[in-house]
Amino acid sequence: MLIKVTSVSFSGLSTIKIDVEVNIAERGLPTFDIIGLPNKAVAESKERVRTALINTGISFPMRKITVNLAPGDVPKDGAFYDLPIAAGILSETECFEIPGSTLFFGELSLDGSLRHTKGALLAALFAKEQKIKKIFVPDESANEATVVGGIEVYPVKTLRQLISYFKSETAIFPAHSESSTEKREHIRVEFDMSEIMGQEQAKRALEIAAAGGHNLLMTGSPGAGKTMLARALPGILPLLNDEESLEVTKIYSSSGNIPPGGSLIRSRPFRSPHHIISQAGLVGGGSHPQPGEISLAHRGVLFLDEFNEFPRSVIEALRQPVEDGRLTISRSLERVTYPSRFILVAAANPCPCGYLNDSTKECTCTRKEISRYRKKLSGPILDRIDLHVEVPVVDIKKLAESLKGPPRPESSEKIRERITSAREIQKKRFSGEEIHTNSEMKNRLIRKYIKLDNESRALLLHASKSFSLSARSYLKIIKISRTIADLAESEKIKTEHIAEALQYRPGIA
Amino acid sequence: MMKAGCIDIKSSEYPPLLKMISDPPEKLYFRGNWDPGIFTETLSVVGSRKNTGYGQIITENLVSAVSVSGITVVSGFMYGTDAAAHQTAVDSGGKTVAVMPCGIMRIHPEHQESLYRKMLLKNSIAISEYEGDMQPARWTFPRRNRIIAALSPALLVIEAGIKSGALITANYAKKYERRIFAVPGPLTSSVSLGTADLIKKGAYIVTCADDILGFYGRFYPFTNPDAFSEKDEYSKSDYVLKILSEEALSIDEIARKALKPVSETGSDITKLLIGNKVIQKGGLYYLNRGGKRC
Repeated sequence: MLIKVTSVSFSGLSTIKIDVEVNIAERGLPTFDIIGLPNKAVAESKERVRTALINTGISFPMRKITVNLAPGDVPKDGAFYDLPIAAGILSETECFEIPGSTLFFGELSLDGSLRHTKGALLAALFAKEQKIKKIFVPDESANEATVVGGIEVYPVKTLRQLISYFKSETAIFPAHSESSTEKREHIRVEFDMSEIMGQEQAKRALEIAAAGGHNLLMTGSPGAGKTMLARALPGILPLLNDEESLEVTKIYSSSGNIPPGGSLIRSRPFRSPHHIISQAGLVGGGSHPQPGEISLAHRGVLFLDEFNEFPRSVIEALRQPVEDGRLTISRSLERVTYPSRFILVAAANPCPCGYLNDSTKECTCTRKEISRYRKKLSGPILDRIDLHVEVPVVDIKKLAESLKGPPRPESSEKIRERITSAREIQKKRFSGEEIHTNSEMKNRLIRKYIKLDNESRALLLHASKSFSLSARSYLKIIKISRTIADLAESEKIKTEHIAEALQYRPGIA
Repeated sequence: MMKAGCIDIKSSEYPPLLKMISDPPEKLYFRGNWDPGIFTETLSVVGSRKNTGYGQIITENLVSAVSVSGITVVSGFMYGTDAAAHQTAVDSGGKTVAVMPCGIMRIHPEHQESLYRKMLLKNSIAISEYEGDMQPARWTFPRRNRIIAALSPALLVIEAGIKSGALITANYAKKYERRIFAVPGPLTSSVSLGTADLIKKGAYIVTCADDILGFYGRFYPFTNPDAFSEKDEYSKSDYVLKILSEEALSIDEIARKALKPVSETGSDITKLLIGNKVIQKGGLYYLNRGGKRC
């Protein structure tokens, strides 16, 4: 007797249909085999299925069982074939029919219950794409799957429940999307800008970075507040729209980063990998390529603290994704593309001991050490960082004195409003192009969209001479001043915008 | 390309001031174009290896005024104040003498090779009492300092720690009865304590280039445009100059004091920076007072 159950296979974020063919032969020695290029996780499925069935109180058929995962030349990975395989076997032993237009997805526990399984969102999206009406997923993953509207998501708790459902003894009610009740506007900001005292220039740099999508480098002594500033960045970025939310959630779903019961991700991701991270950990990799930190930071912020402690090879691998907003990982068996459009925030100490230019502590480094350190900090990736800012240690006493009068610093929400409108302006400007923000402009587009008047050009030329700016820095200053002008809702770039942009030129200190 | 040679103590071209001390080098090795005229009017400049932004600015201000007046600047070619002094002298078109702590064929520290080449190209010289490519040693630095002190009628100490090579040089200068000038600095800075000590013990305090030039019977030939006189395009950012005239501050502090958004202050200060009205060193902004007053 041959039963066919539909399931799915992932390759990065793309999906293909998998037919799970379960054959329970009338003759032959009792065996249980899974074929169709299963990896270890899939092959172990047979032990899980067998034990789960027995623990559910079903006598496991002592017959020759063959499970084929078709197409047979695609490597299969993941523990979620447990449910389709179990469903196939059960339909034979328990005598029920598996209805058409259904998809099964989920990992079994040995006691016969279903576990939270990564990739439920991708499976649901696939079902919708294939016009499959019903999908059966573990109860804990159902919330994630309901994000995709237009299909019925059946949350399954145990195999026993599934059996009685198919035997029409009990009902399983399709899950409803909980996220639809959660309003986008109610997202709590983790670190509010108003909580950060002082650091006015660094905060302004964050605002410009958020508005134009510029990458940012902060240098400052330990304890100056670089990490806190970076953590405040996601809170001032415009809220994720539905499409962006789905993009982010897909990546998190495929890598198992959505907690049980979790749903659509509404807040901007913030990732801060430690500098001992491997190259595969940062950009993604593995023989069955997994997304790296850069993809998990998609549409959010990638914060690299102690930037120059990262191995050179790891940092170099960032170049392509920073430029293109996505990264293709090619392996012999598959080629996978993950999106990676994020704002890079790098932080570094100004010297090896960390206290150069510090007002409270003396630097103990020699010139040689400092110049060697600086050399490590430079390189091609630094060319892709538009904004450079120094973060000095805030002198609490001085600050408290000067803060007696003026009002509290602005809240993230207020800054976000400015940024959102600056982004709108950019969106309108680049409506005919493939880019969305000023930071993405290449030379051709800079020439096309940015016209400087004579006064501004004169200032810029004068500045590039007295600050000895490179040609690349010159263009960066133009891009930054465009963003500053957008923040000020000024159509023209004025000299004051250029003058402010020059504050963030590289190589000061 | 780089000429090298040796001057014997018996030679008439041997620097006369150096000959007067009790233990002058028997042979003085040099690199560059030897011209005994370079030693006729000299000022020795020493300071901390770890000079602060303040020290850097003072070095630039004083040395440029001294250099422009035609006085040769003698220093030790170490990084920090020494390098700043040599660099400024070369940049102002003046002459400078580097007294090396190592064999004459060696450049120490190595990473300042470009400065070394630039100096020699501009008719300045490097000298040493050691031949060949001898490595510098702990004891060669203080020995070298006696030459720096001896070569000039006056010694300018920009910044010095309480136990520092600059103070060793100052002790030699005292022994040789040279005039000692010391630059006052904030007492919170460890590299201003040595100079404060010198002043306490009777060194001449320097507050402007004329203090030094007066010793040589000169005065600073240029009147610097006063930072506050040009009203036109800077009038908008006058508040920055006013705030900075009290003390050097970071941009955040300036904005806070002026009660203005940092975006506006940043914009204003960049214009002042381009206009050379303020100087940026080590994360702080200083008012550019030129060489007239430091």
